[in-house]
Amino acid sequence: MASLRHGPRPWTFYALATFFALFVLFLYGPMIVIYVLSFQGPNGGMTFPINGFSLHWFKALIEQERTGDIAGAFRRSLVLACIVGALTVLLSVMAGLGFRRRFRGASFVFYMAIASLIMPGLFVSLGIGIGFQMLGIAPAWYTSALGAQLTWTLPYGLLIMFAVLGRFNRAYEEAATDLGASNWQRLTQVTLPIVLPGIIGVALFGFTLSYDEFPRTLLAAGSTNTLPLEIWAMTTNVTSPALYAVGTVTTIVSFIVIAAALTAIALIERRRLRRISAAERTIGED
Amino acid sequence: MNAERKTGEIELVNLTKRYGETVAVAGVNLTIPHGSYCCLLGPSGCGKTTILRMIAGHETPTSGDIRIGGSSVVGQPPVRRGTAMMFQSYALFPHLSVLDNVAFPLKMRGLDRDRRHAAAREILSKVGLERFAERLPAQLSGGQQQRVALARSLITNPRVLLLDEPLSALDEYLRLRMRGELRRIQREFGITFIHVTHTQLEAIAVADMLVVMDQGRIEQASGPREIFDQPRSPYVARFIGGQNVLGGIVESVADDITLLKGDQGARFAIRTNGSRPALGSRLYFAIRRDRVSLSRAVENETSSTIPNFVRGTVHAIEYQGSYVKVTVDVPGLEEFVANVSDGAYFVDPLEIGQPVLANWKMEDVHRLEGDEQASTAQPRLETALS
Repeated sequence: MASLRHGPRPWTFYALATFFALFVLFLYGPMIVIYVLSFQGPNGGMTFPINGFSLHWFKALIEQERTGDIAGAFRRSLVLACIVGALTVLLSVMAGLGFRRRFRGASFVFYMAIASLIMPGLFVSLGIGIGFQMLGIAPAWYTSALGAQLTWTLPYGLLIMFAVLGRFNRAYEEAATDLGASNWQRLTQVTLPIVLPGIIGVALFGFTLSYDEFPRTLLAAGSTNTLPLEIWAMTTNVTSPALYAVGTVTTIVSFIVIAAALTAIALIERRRLRRISAAERTIGED
Repeated sequence: MNAERKTGEIELVNLTKRYGETVAVAGVNLTIPHGSYCCLLGPSGCGKTTILRMIAGHETPTSGDIRIGGSSVVGQPPVRRGTAMMFQSYALFPHLSVLDNVAFPLKMRGLDRDRRHAAAREILSKVGLERFAERLPAQLSGGQQQRVALARSLITNPRVLLLDEPLSALDEYLRLRMRGELRRIQREFGITFIHVTHTQLEAIAVADMLVVMDQGRIEQASGPREIFDQPRSPYVARFIGGQNVLGGIVESVADDITLLKGDQGARFAIRTNGSRPALGSRLYFAIRRDRVSLSRAVENETSSTIPNFVRGTVHAIEYQGSYVKVTVDVPGLEEFVANVSDGAYFVDPLEIGQPVLANWKMEDVHRLEGDEQASTAQPRLETALS
């Protein structure tokens, strides 16, 4: 009986491994090129060869020579992503809890909420932009663009909450009521803590979907740009590695957000583990 | 007067629960005395859990009344009823330590941290779990989780504890130990326990009062010994087990002895104490498995006309330790079992296929109520899934 693990690998392994390597290269190669080129020297161009190494283009970003209001766009995008994330959590958690009761017209409301996922994003933003103008309200990133982005993040948040609450055992809530919890106590001390990891997931989703949202924001952002819109504008009129520096900075920000979320989860986990090991010490030889 | 109101006597008056067209509980009347250990027993879907959940306040009756300690509790939240429920899955909060789980009801009532933790530690020591106070529920074994759930239910001094299939999640060994533990705790706290189960032996072992249910109705409510010894109907006799249920047409009635003619020509003599069954009507009776004796049948014997003898062949033999369970194939009967004590059996062991005569004393026969329809309704056997 020949064990596969000790025999020579079949040719399909090499074929598939090569295919996977190409896939990874295609996925990350262009990004890595951009990160490398963003460290061009002051006389460097948009393409190879590398002409010295400097942080010149990052400085150019901050000083806004020849670039647009990139710092302002970044700040706006960050604030907007936080607001969108918070609203997505608030609304999808409440909607998810509400949908557990099969109220009249529940499926109609559900399909209406989900339908906005398949609407072409550009037309959503066009419609919202025109709508605001018709009503005589100036579109802005914190009003019309915020609403446009919610049409994108809310259906996702709702679907995630369905999955999270689908696995939630209602006996916890009945037990809480049975043990004397009011409705509010039951929600805050039992239901929400148990589904907290899912809620963090919704927040992260809302944040990242908003942070790089483009089509729905494009025609609804009004006179000031969010970061993706600003970068899009730069690709047409900035012809220096400062454009790449933007890419590097925004990537770093994304990593920081993800790292923060993972750290938060790890901290919760570690606190739990510490409690467990403390408990085991007190129990001793059990 | 006031003290009486605090008791955990439960009265169900015409209690009915319908889900659309389905009737889960059909007009149940029952009084459970204060401080008793009552088991609701029946196959799944018989309405026992629905009754429990209505008493707890997690389900609203369609009609009828629930009284605890003499006053109606319908419409009141669980906490005002003085009931506590232990869930089948225990429903221990996974994010709270054992101590915080047990202290949870006190926290909801606004007790400060020190006082509620002290109370929780005290009750944990009563169930022997004070060393596990800092652990999370997921780190405990099934039996320990159950005791935590029990402690959490008892910390508010309820007058009634409602247990929904409390032992179904445990393995056989723990099940036996925990049912003794439940009984001990019930005695110690002196409150009413209502325990829902579909396991007959579990119910007989713990209960003061046994309520056998079928299809939303109570078939019989009584002490476990009466139910086992004097089942009311063929359904109860079959469901509780340990009995052979037989029937026949009344052939003659003399004094208080009635002679029945079985389907395959066998004759049965039973006492009908006073009542005079109509000739030609159908009667059912039960005979306990351990009151049946077996002997080897001789071919062409005409003993089938002697009352309380049935002829059959040995179908299966199961050694059970202190007795041997012999299943006999009797034409016209679904199942006929004799439990022969091991001492008597091994003097002259039987083989499968051996023709045998089974007989019993008339004094051991217990007459059953119920008509033909009730007797053909088979109790649905079920798995541990509820």
